[in-house]
Amino acid sequence: MDEPLTPEQDRDALAAELALGLLDGDARAEAQRLRLSDRGFAAQVAAWEARFAGLADDVAAVTPPKELWDGIAARLPAVERVVSLETRLNRWRMAALGSGALAAALALVLLTRPDAAPLPAAQAPELAVARIEGDSAATVVRARYDGSEGVMLLRIEGLTPGELAPELWVIPAGGAPVSLGQIAPSGTARLTMDADMRALVKDGATLAITLEPVSPVPHAAPSSAPIAAGKITII
Amino acid sequence: MAALGAVSEGDRDALRLVYQMTSAKLFGICLRICGDRTSAEDVVQSVYLRVWDKAGQFDATRASPVTWLATIARNAAIDWKRSVAGRPIAAASLDEGKADQVADDAPRADVLLLASERNARLHHCINTLEVRTGACIRAAFFDGMTYAELAALEDVPLGTMKSWMRRGLLKLKECLGDG
Repeated sequence: MDEPLTPEQDRDALAAELALGLLDGDARAEAQRLRLSDRGFAAQVAAWEARFAGLADDVAAVTPPKELWDGIAARLPAVERVVSLETRLNRWRMAALGSGALAAALALVLLTRPDAAPLPAAQAPELAVARIEGDSAATVVRARYDGSEGVMLLRIEGLTPGELAPELWVIPAGGAPVSLGQIAPSGTARLTMDADMRALVKDGATLAITLEPVSPVPHAAPSSAPIAAGKITII
Repeated sequence: MAALGAVSEGDRDALRLVYQMTSAKLFGICLRICGDRTSAEDVVQSVYLRVWDKAGQFDATRASPVTWLATIARNAAIDWKRSVAGRPIAAASLDEGKADQVADDAPRADVLLLASERNARLHHCINTLEVRTGACIRAAFFDGMTYAELAALEDVPLGTMKSWMRRGLLKLKECLGDG
């Protein structure tokens, strides 16, 4: 007789079952819930997906009809999504840097896009982005900073409304947090930043969100640990 | 806000580049799973729209971009397949030839290079499992078969199928040796 699986094995097998799609009904729903709520489990599922993806390597590539791209392009949303897209592309760039041959090729193409050329170091950044993430995968704030106008646009998702209000901080590398003011728990926000604030938006600085008592003026210092944080990237 | 417009153009161009470099691979996968070109085209379109929305979730520490894209494509194609009413649970769907009957272009050399190493190892490890377990893994991957369907197909109790598969999957992981 086989020995029973250990709890660790049992959980890993569950991750494999979810990744492969073996489960249905309640068992599948339960595993999906676990994936959404438990980052460790989500990572296990992703690892299994990567293992199984090798099966797809067997499949011959087939060039799709030319019109297919047109159909996709026609369904892409327009300018409104710019904020989050910035982040996506940076993700792609970073991701591609660390991966295999095709990834490297993607990186090369993306990095050599003329409009992605790095700015001279001395110059104030024209564009910066940050993705501010919390422990819960649902909490994502995407920030996009336009240096020509000193405006930071935020797209806020997954914060829970409550008595305390989310407050946005910029933390220079090695420095103390400076409040950029309070933001709504969801939707978009537009912050106009003064010259002092603008100087803080630098590569490597961090944007963070804490929950603070509601206040019409920015707090001098955060009262608690951030619920979400992310690095600023100059693009 | 002229810069916004320019960046937006750039982003779209970038998605297009990703599409140009990966669409043949993803179309091949969708064709293999869906079985017909029209459905595969619909699924591939939905995949790139999903990529547009989800690219921020991509985590380079977990998977290469191609693996990530292939997983989204496979899952979308399986979802499509499951949504088609009265999907036949046919042994014939286990055979490999479906996509090969459609004219194909040679895969990109770089994709092949990546694929060949990983693929060889995966095949080796699946071949160390019981033949039936390996076939069931493939049937689940390409045909979206669930435990219940596999048990019916193999004519064994559900619990037996689960037990085979769970042990087989853990053995597979051990063989792949990636933790």
